Amino acid sequence: METLGYLIDGFGVALAPHNLMFALLGAFLGTLIGALPGLGPANGVAILIPLAFTLGLAPETALIMLTAVYAGAMYGGRISSILLNIPGDEPAMMTCLDGYPMAQQGKAAEALAISAVASFMGSLIATIGLILLAPILADFALTFGPAEYFALFLLAFATLGGITGKNPMKTVVAACIGLMIATVGIDNTGVQRYTFGVLELYEGVDFIIAIVGLFAISELLFFIEEKAGGGKQKMSVNKLTLSWKDIRAIMPSSIRGGVLGFIAGVLPGAGASLGSFIGYTLEKKVVGSKGYFGKGDPRGVAGPEAGNNGASSGALVPMLTLGVPGSGTTAVLLALLISLNITPGPLMFTQNADIVWGVIAALLIGNFLLLVLNIPLVGIFVKLLSVPPMYLLPIVTMIAFVGIYSISNTTFDLYFMVAFGVAGYVLRKLEIPLVPVILGLLLGPEMEKNLRHAMDISDGDWTILWDSGLALGLWVFAGLGLILPYIVGPLLRRRMQVSTGTGGPEGD
Amino acid sequence: MTFNDRIFGVLMIALAVAYGWGTTLFPEPFGGAESVGPETFPRLLTVVLALSSLYLIVRPDPDNAWPWSRTGVELIIAVVVLVFYTMLLQPLGFILSTLLAVGTLCWRMGATPVKAYLTGAVAGIVVFLIFNFALDLSLPLGLLSFLEVS
Repeated sequence: METLGYLIDGFGVALAPHNLMFALLGAFLGTLIGALPGLGPANGVAILIPLAFTLGLAPETALIMLTAVYAGAMYGGRISSILLNIPGDEPAMMTCLDGYPMAQQGKAAEALAISAVASFMGSLIATIGLILLAPILADFALTFGPAEYFALFLLAFATLGGITGKNPMKTVVAACIGLMIATVGIDNTGVQRYTFGVLELYEGVDFIIAIVGLFAISELLFFIEEKAGGGKQKMSVNKLTLSWKDIRAIMPSSIRGGVLGFIAGVLPGAGASLGSFIGYTLEKKVVGSKGYFGKGDPRGVAGPEAGNNGASSGALVPMLTLGVPGSGTTAVLLALLISLNITPGPLMFTQNADIVWGVIAALLIGNFLLLVLNIPLVGIFVKLLSVPPMYLLPIVTMIAFVGIYSISNTTFDLYFMVAFGVAGYVLRKLEIPLVPVILGLLLGPEMEKNLRHAMDISDGDWTILWDSGLALGLWVFAGLGLILPYIVGPLLRRRMQVSTGTGGPEGD
Repeated sequence: MTFNDRIFGVLMIALAVAYGWGTTLFPEPFGGAESVGPETFPRLLTVVLALSSLYLIVRPDPDNAWPWSRTGVELIIAVVVLVFYTMLLQPLGFILSTLLAVGTLCWRMGATPVKAYLTGAVAGIVVFLIFNFALDLSLPLGLLSFLEVS
């Protein structure tokens, strides 16, 4: 089997000592980022990108490290859900439901260990799914012409808010803003657009600066506004007493959650939060009255946690095969690929096979590392929860400054970053999502290029954009992506709210 | 109250108009007009942004409160600190400007001044040492350049 050969080559890349070291470092940093207050996965990966550059890492090493960070952040996010009942990110919301009661009953260590095992299972299943599905999808994507790609990009924007999204029109506005920023600079016909004669704008706006500004700086401003400077109280964790029997008991839940999560992650518009929600509801249905969900049932921790991690690995499928990310964090990983001069999409599987399969192998290895790291080191990560944001966020901001400064050694970029930060704060206040802005910045040039190619082929006939059945299908799904939230969105949201009892934080 | 979305919608329509007007100023590309010139894609965006902003004006969401008074001032202070940090990074050097910027931010977020500036100093020195010696990237020393070891 061809795939197997590639995978073995991939393991060869991922097991190279320095790659393994960076994977370990990434896994550790990622868990840190997930555990620390005020640093989501997207934010954390974004801050680390400029650093990965300045380190002069080889493309595959940089990608392996940041994929490990991505996986690690998902692990770290659950710590605060379980111990403090504060979900680190939206998908972790469902973990609170049974995780926190377990912690209150003095079984915090068990809850953390179970969630680590479930996360591992979820990621493992999803990574296997990725290995099986990605090459097929990449082959299929080779049949796409420019018109299909144009429609696919539209689909990506339309479904970004997810069917639980609040106001799809705001996604459209945000996407337009991002795409508009992407048009700044010299276009491929050599015409200057919106540069206003400023030399620094000729090459366009660097999306890394925009991403770091939008995420990191606006986060700082939000913390200041909420006056959330003080730390949380210190938490202690009991000694772990987990038997194989307990682990076996949660296995079915983890496997079900992982499979569901993977499907939710691959499908556009579903995403990790829906993955973990479905994972939890299914567990409740399957186990039925024998369970004590909501009162600290270990299966209620395992199901959504596996779903959440399955979805985050599943989300890599469209990103790697089509170059179209489905979530904020995968958008940031796409930014990394583009800046490494790797064009994501079906061709990557043939042209950069070593990198793709190296990363996939690194995901598998990273998950083992995370499991090994997480069970003994959980005490350290728990201590991190009590780091007061009033010290942490200024330091994170400083690291963002250093990273951006080290890209070009000019302060011009830093002003830009601060401006993006203020803009990001205002947009978040208005509930305009930031991820479409970033996606617009990333996909803008590709989208325009494909439009141009399609038009060249058809000699200026616009109907080519929806001429083929495939393109038409993509348009229909894009339309559904915008309309469905109005119809089923309120219903689903209400259900998720009722079952968690809280609104949950804004996911990005 | 539904002012936020309406005002934002109006601003975005203004942006769309200005952006669309900008497309008329592009010079003719070398080699004559093509079916898709430099202005085609931006014009599409103009139309989409104008329509979606119009929707925000017609059907706005409820407002989130803006932080006026004290918190608002704190936010402005934070932004000013960041701008000054950028301005002073090269003249003062990384360590001193980080001491000031991180220190001030920590302090304004609720740490005691001594602890805050101590954090700033330690963070500045540690990151400087890591970058200059472990990672081989030179951050500016500025006023402290007399300390430079060749």
